[in-house]
Amino acid sequence: MLGVRFIDRGGAREVVALGLTHADALYNLARWLVRDPQEAEDLVQETYARALGAAQQFEAGSNLKAWLLRILRNTYLDGRRRARPEAAEENVDELAPVGNPAADEAHSAQLRSLVADEVAQAVQALPEAWRTAILLDLEGLSEAEMADVLGCAEGTVKSRLGRARAALRERLEAHRP
Amino acid sequence: MMDCNKTRELTLDLLRGRLGPEVAAEVRAHLATCAACQAHVEAERALGEALEAKLPRHVAPPALRQRLAASWPGDETARRPPRVRARVRELALGAALSAALAVAVGATTATVVENRAATARLDTEAVNDHLRVLEGAPLAKVTGGLHEVKPWFGGKLDFAPAVAFAGNADFPLVGGAAEPFLDRRAAVFVYKRRLHTASLFVVMADGLAFPRDVRTQTIRGFNVILWRSGEQGYALASDLSLPELAALQKLIAIP
Repeated sequence: MLGVRFIDRGGAREVVALGLTHADALYNLARWLVRDPQEAEDLVQETYARALGAAQQFEAGSNLKAWLLRILRNTYLDGRRRARPEAAEENVDELAPVGNPAADEAHSAQLRSLVADEVAQAVQALPEAWRTAILLDLEGLSEAEMADVLGCAEGTVKSRLGRARAALRERLEAHRP
Repeated sequence: MMDCNKTRELTLDLLRGRLGPEVAAEVRAHLATCAACQAHVEAERALGEALEAKLPRHVAPPALRQRLAASWPGDETARRPPRVRARVRELALGAALSAALAVAVGATTATVVENRAATARLDTEAVNDHLRVLEGAPLAKVTGGLHEVKPWFGGKLDFAPAVAFAGNADFPLVGGAAEPFLDRRAAVFVYKRRLHTASLFVVMADGLAFPRDVRTQTIRGFNVILWRSGEQGYALASDLSLPELAALQKLIAIP
């Protein structure tokens, strides 16, 4: 048993009672972060171990899924820093905006005819912080919760999500001229 | 004054229904006069649909779930009797065996993915049907527990819902009904918790995306828990807090 001896606060009780019901959400994000299934499993296990260790800090009634996703992403970033300490942090917020306004002439029909592989490849090609924003949005997190997971301001979330979506549209609309 | 830049900034909020009525009206007024922004909104909507329906959602493999459960602190109320544990082990063995077989036949790309849209459809249906229950869909009143509800289902369903939880002091069972659920009929069990109502829908799961393992979701302020057991799919919907609803789910799923 991982050492949670004093589950005296509602928050920790909630982590223990409900933590494992979010395994799919955590595993999904892990797969989109590290790709390799075995590495993804290790990442999820590490995340749950950390979550138990920090269970007392979880505020009862707040979004447990978001809290767990934040631990998962931080665990992932720690691992990446350990593996490549020299690699500079990707500063996605300074990347040039993608797409040009002309591309907004919608190709909705193209988007609707896409197959799963094309969508998956486009998401995988995004910089990590953008990809994560897209996935957290799909998990139903609010912008405030996403900001918490990503460790940035809400305004930054908005702009990352906007740029990520523009990049996806540009790539996916270009798929079939 | 709403211009193109501002409209594009607010597009996602508009699609998610996150704008106040006044701002939404301003955006719509701009869209009515600007074909380019209209096209932008349309493309954003199409992208959202493509992501919802087509982006694979990887599901935690059973072996991972078992490892996680093994190192997770026990919940006294959910402590399973040894008989069930033995069965879980058998199932695990079966799963390992079929995984081995899958590899043997070369199905190495058989990623377990869940169709997000198909599962979301179940969540939405559960909430809509729960609202119907709240609005007073006719219920068979229950005073004497399950043995009264089950025969009553007999003539109305073509399957026998596998539900053994007859309610207790915390969650009394107050009624049952047979209601449409997507393309089939569901056995509905209605439980109470103080002033809250929780509806349990049980259907034959074939062709529906009920997850093998318990999955929770929050939709329009309602919590929904989906799971599957044998051939039947279960959807539990309520405005109860997730911990309370999860406690009820355990009572229902673990007899």
